[in-house]
Amino acid sequence: MFMARVKRINPLLAVALTLAVLTAGFAAWSGWTWYAAADDESLAFAKTRDEVLAAGEQGVQNLNTLDHRELRRGMETWEKSTTGDLRDQLREGRPEFEKQVRNARTVTKAKVLSGAVTELDERAGRARVMVALRITVDAPKEKAVTKESRMLGALTRTDDGWKLSDLGQAPVGDTGPSAGE
Amino acid sequence: MTDEAEARLPEQHPGEPEPEAAPAPARRWRRWSTLAPSLLSAVLLLASTLLTVLTAGLHDSPAAGNKALTDTAATDRVTGEIRSALGRILSYSPDSLAATERDAKTLLRGQAAKEYDALLASVRQRVTDQGLTLTTQVVRIGVSHLSGDTARLLAFLDQTTRRDGEKATAVPAQLSVTAELDGGHWRITKLKAR
Repeated sequence: MFMARVKRINPLLAVALTLAVLTAGFAAWSGWTWYAAADDESLAFAKTRDEVLAAGEQGVQNLNTLDHRELRRGMETWEKSTTGDLRDQLREGRPEFEKQVRNARTVTKAKVLSGAVTELDERAGRARVMVALRITVDAPKEKAVTKESRMLGALTRTDDGWKLSDLGQAPVGDTGPSAGE
Repeated sequence: MTDEAEARLPEQHPGEPEPEAAPAPARRWRRWSTLAPSLLSAVLLLASTLLTVLTAGLHDSPAAGNKALTDTAATDRVTGEIRSALGRILSYSPDSLAATERDAKTLLRGQAAKEYDALLASVRQRVTDQGLTLTTQVVRIGVSHLSGDTARLLAFLDQTTRRDGEKATAVPAQLSVTAELDGGHWRITKLKAR
C-alpha cells in the first residue's frame, strides 16, 4: 500500500506543478505591473516631453548650423528638422538664402546651452520649447563672432517624429526681434 | 537508464503495433506530465523576467523622475515663485536697494547668495552715485527638470538699465537657475548666465 502510493505521486511531477503555479503567479504579477506602468499616462507624457525637448534642441541647433562648403547637406538637414509653415518658408527662401551664404562664405555653428519645454499638448501633437544657445559665425578674413541667442520654437508631431513648425528669436521688450538677428 | 531506453523505443518505431504499445502512452504521459509544466514554468519565468526588466526600465527612465510639466501644479508653482524671485532680486534703484538686498537674503541660498553679494557690492557705489536703476522682467521661463525638492529652470530676461537723465535700453539675458524647496518655498541656489 505504502509503496504503491509513493509510486503514484511522482515527486518530479509535484515539483514541476508547484513551479508552474509559482511562475504563473509571478508572470501574472509582472504582467500586471508592466501593464500598469506602460499604461501610466503621466509616464507616457513625460517620455513625450523628453522627446519634444530632444527634437526641439536638435532642430534649433540644426537650423543654426550651416557650412557654405556643404550647403546642400545643410539645407537638407534644415528640411528634415522642420514641417508645416516653417518648412514652406525655408523652401521658398532657399535659392536667395543659398546665394547669400555662398557669397559670404560663412560657417555657422551652434551649441545648445539649455532648453525647456514650456507647453505640450499630446493629443493635438503640438508643443513649445525655449532654447538658449551659443552661435559662432566664421567668415573669411574676419574674426569669428560668437553670440548668445535665445529662441522660441513650436513643434508639431509628424509621422516622422516631432519637428519644428515655427522658430524665432525671443524678442526683447516691445521692440520686436532682438538686435542680434 | 532502462526506463529511458524503453521510453525511446516507441519513438523509434512510431508506426509499429508492438506488444508494448499499450503501456507506452502511459509512460509517455508520465514524461509529459512533468515535462510540460517544467517547460511552461521556464517560459513563464522567462516572460516574467522580461516584463520585470521592462517595468523597471519604464520606472527608472530619466523621463519618469522628471516631473516638469507632468505635475502641472508643481511646475506652475516653481515657475511662478522663481519668476517673481528673479524679478525682485535683479531689480534695484537707489531707493529700493535695501529692499532688494533683504529680498535676496530670503530668496537666495548657497553659491547663488555668495555670488549675488559680490555682484551687488560691485554696483552699490554706482547705484547711489549715478542713480543707476536696473529693472528685470522675466519674459519666458520653463522647467527643464523637477524632482521632489530640486528644480532646474531656464529663464529669458529683459534687463533695462537706466542712469540719471539717460535713455533706458533693454538687453536680453538668459539664466539657468537651480532651485531648492526649503520650508515650502523655492529658493535659488545657483544662477548661471547663458
